[in-house]
Amino acid sequence: MSNVWRRHRGWITPAIFILPAIVLFGVVIVASSLQSVWISLHEWDGFGPMQWIGLGNYEELFADPQFYTSLKNNVIWLVIFMLAPPLGLGIALLVNQQIKGMRIVKSLFFVPLVLASVAVGVVFTWVYTPQFGLLALLFSAFGASAPALLSDENLVTFAVVFAALWPQIAFCMVLYLAGLNSLSEDLIGAGRVDGARGWNMLRHVVLPQLTQVSFIAIAITAIGALRSFDMISVMTQGGPFGSSSVLAYQMYEQSIFSYRFGYGAAIATILFLIMLVFIVWYLNRIMRAEDRSA
Amino acid sequence: MYPRPIPQTAVGLRRAYMVLVIAILVLWLAPLFAILLTSARSTSDIAAGNLWGWPTQFGLIDNYVGVFTQTPMARFFANSLLITVPAVVFVLALSTLAGFVLSKYPFRGSMLVFAIFIGGNFLPAQIMMIPVRDLMVRLGLYDTTWALIVFHTAFQTGFATLFMRNFIAALPKELFEAARAEGASPTQILIHVVLPLVRPALAALAILLFTFIWNDYFWAVVLTLSDTVKPVTAGLANLRGQYVSAWNVISAATVIVAVPPVAMFFLMQRHFIAGLTMGAVKG
Amino acid sequence: MSSLQLRNIEKNYGNYHALRGINLDVAPGEFIVMVGPSGCGKSTLLKSIAGLEPITSGTMIINGRDVTRAEPGERGIAMVFQSYALYPHMSVAENMGFGLRMAKRPKPEIDAAVARAAKILRLTDQLDKLPRQLSGGQRQRVAIGRAITRAPEVFLFDEPLSNLDAALRTQMRVELSTLHAELGATMVYVTHDQVEAMTMASRIVVLNQGRIEQVGSPLDLYRNPDNFFVAGFLGAPRMNFFEASVVALEEGWVRVSNPGAGVFSIALRPGARLEVGDTVKVGVRPEAFHLAEEDDGLAASVRLVEHLGRETIVYADATPLLSVGSDTGTSNVTIHLPDIVGLAAGASIRIAFDPDQAYLFGGPDDQTLSPPKASAI
Repeated sequence: MSNVWRRHRGWITPAIFILPAIVLFGVVIVASSLQSVWISLHEWDGFGPMQWIGLGNYEELFADPQFYTSLKNNVIWLVIFMLAPPLGLGIALLVNQQIKGMRIVKSLFFVPLVLASVAVGVVFTWVYTPQFGLLALLFSAFGASAPALLSDENLVTFAVVFAALWPQIAFCMVLYLAGLNSLSEDLIGAGRVDGARGWNMLRHVVLPQLTQVSFIAIAITAIGALRSFDMISVMTQGGPFGSSSVLAYQMYEQSIFSYRFGYGAAIATILFLIMLVFIVWYLNRIMRAEDRSA
Repeated sequence: MYPRPIPQTAVGLRRAYMVLVIAILVLWLAPLFAILLTSARSTSDIAAGNLWGWPTQFGLIDNYVGVFTQTPMARFFANSLLITVPAVVFVLALSTLAGFVLSKYPFRGSMLVFAIFIGGNFLPAQIMMIPVRDLMVRLGLYDTTWALIVFHTAFQTGFATLFMRNFIAALPKELFEAARAEGASPTQILIHVVLPLVRPALAALAILLFTFIWNDYFWAVVLTLSDTVKPVTAGLANLRGQYVSAWNVISAATVIVAVPPVAMFFLMQRHFIAGLTMGAVKG
Repeated sequence: MSSLQLRNIEKNYGNYHALRGINLDVAPGEFIVMVGPSGCGKSTLLKSIAGLEPITSGTMIINGRDVTRAEPGERGIAMVFQSYALYPHMSVAENMGFGLRMAKRPKPEIDAAVARAAKILRLTDQLDKLPRQLSGGQRQRVAIGRAITRAPEVFLFDEPLSNLDAALRTQMRVELSTLHAELGATMVYVTHDQVEAMTMASRIVVLNQGRIEQVGSPLDLYRNPDNFFVAGFLGAPRMNFFEASVVALEEGWVRVSNPGAGVFSIALRPGARLEVGDTVKVGVRPEAFHLAEEDDGLAASVRLVEHLGRETIVYADATPLLSVGSDTGTSNVTIHLPDIVGLAAGASIRIAFDPDQAYLFGGPDDQTLSPPKASAI
């Protein structure tokens, strides 16, 4: 017995070490995700037996106008969220000075990042509140009255996205600040000797050193845009009349409120397929970087 | 450095710069100031529509005391701690073990496992929602804090393992070779080499995990129902429904939800930033 | 007219004086090498000339133009960095042409300049490659090529060879000297390697603690160091130093005494101020020692012998000699013999030196007090 142990302990112990993580992650995350795809092929109320309907849920989904509203809103989120990396870079460039007091200023710029998205949602609901909110105050200073953003079908999604953009910009700023601090001092010097200044320095010398940071900022921002749920749930609950819903919220609504788990699973599967593009892109690049360093 | 540091001698320029930066900072944090100010408004001012004018009386203490005595916020707060702290501890344990194995004992398929850990981390929550909820119902954990502890432990293990693997992989190879040459078993290497060295990584990871789990809202509403189990995020969303226009109370509740992660951030800022940017910059 | 003039350059970081009162005139076509121990300010001085480090006060003139406040790109300099600092995302040709591109020169002119530089440095076949596809030596040449393309008034080199292995370093040293002869350009070169300094420089600038200790041709500095620091810094193996006290003064001569070496006379330069009882330092280069007869010179015991082929370096212990800065309590003497000697560790020998070849240092700044020696060439 002890002989067997001694011969195999080289791999048995590591196997025991990694097993809990693999089992837990495998069962709760991976298996559940796959199971959703299976559920999406059924009609199911969450309690009774599942009934196989093949692609029925998908057929219904593709005929559902709400699906296209949600999809369109997801695209709006994605497009507007792409402002976060350049704006984050902008603020990072602005605050990247070593002057007494700048440390605390930088920390204060980071704050939105650590706020719960529910809190951000409540904060902006308050900011957008007609007549009383901060926005109304701002408009009244110019003698105008602020539009009721959250009850306007055409503006509501933009209002929510701009609120969500706030912490996302802070996130990109943190990444870029770290990137700016690891720039090669010699390369900057070489650029200066070569006469590059301002925009040329940024474009030709600085940004090329930040490609990895930019990639991560863009990829994570894209994934974050598609995952958006909390802010919509807190600020509008998809309304008015589903006009601010996104796939993630529509799925939740169909499952939890309408007990249409099969249909909800189909929406989740579509969302998953869209995000897979970004996840695979991200993984591919990370793994290639991994191979290079290995 | 880029942009070029403003020279110490350019005093005027430095002042102008600080004024500009602080002006932008004030705009940047204006929504937060709004909520903080509102949380100090008295109920009578709110009722009278006096939201931004000079307050007739201060409601700061009333509002915060009110949140704790008239709403279940104290219970929500305790629930959040009861969920977050154990989950963070479990994730740290699991991810240190898994990260150690993935970085130092590669096996066939270990890269695939690693990729699944990273990729799983980016999945939309909705793709696993129904089966996870079903699983918790069948395990009898639905609507208990354990449902959230188990789920967060599982989900965050993906990100945390990536984090720990990268950190351990960057430790000097010679340390592990020396330990093996001296005949140390994997367990001994873990205890005597890995654990003492990963402490800074664990600190950074712990504060990130705390923030992620504390701030979670989706799983809180999917896996809990009762006020006795709900964490602060779901609780705050509930209060919003009940106190529709009592913005002073809602603001105070929002501040309470926001304080723990913000406080953690300011206390352990260096670790937080290091954790968040790890891998992003080196790559 | 000088290519480069430095007038009273000072640089302070808070209370720390990185550069103090630097004055230097560099003639067109000179190859100036700045040496000194780490932290002496040589790299800071080079970066200040480039305009990458602001100076606290002083004036810099390049080719008759005051550039003290000018941007690095407008100073008419080019710099080769220790890390090469090649733009990793640009091809070799783009790297070399970037400066001209920033100066908005027409494309044909840039291409021609790049082609010319590439030809000089044998990089023509590498022009489309990225820096990471090149070997260390090739990257080094691209960095130099980037400087050549800019056709600067002054080339600045910041320890450019320190990242290369020994063999490549020797080769690049020769190539750089050849390049200097070909281009006839003014070059300022920083290194900590005194072999590079001795072999490449038309003049060496020795820096210490932010000050220039001495400027002169390599052989001049070697033969006639101005002070104790320069004497000790240049020359490998290092000069031997002994403490001695002045016992008598005569016209042009001083008699000094050391417990091991006894009393002997050393020539004194005119105007040197010494008094009986002063402590002085006597310096003897390793090659100024020779093996002595049975009853002559000093007794020493051999600790280590290095056979270099044609010559031999003997490390011996002559305890009665009071060395300067000896931390072992013993007196280590290094002897450089021009032939093969059959000595082994533990052997007892007797050593002697010619007082004419010795140096005398004393006074508040350890100035050289012995008269100048005739240059070998």
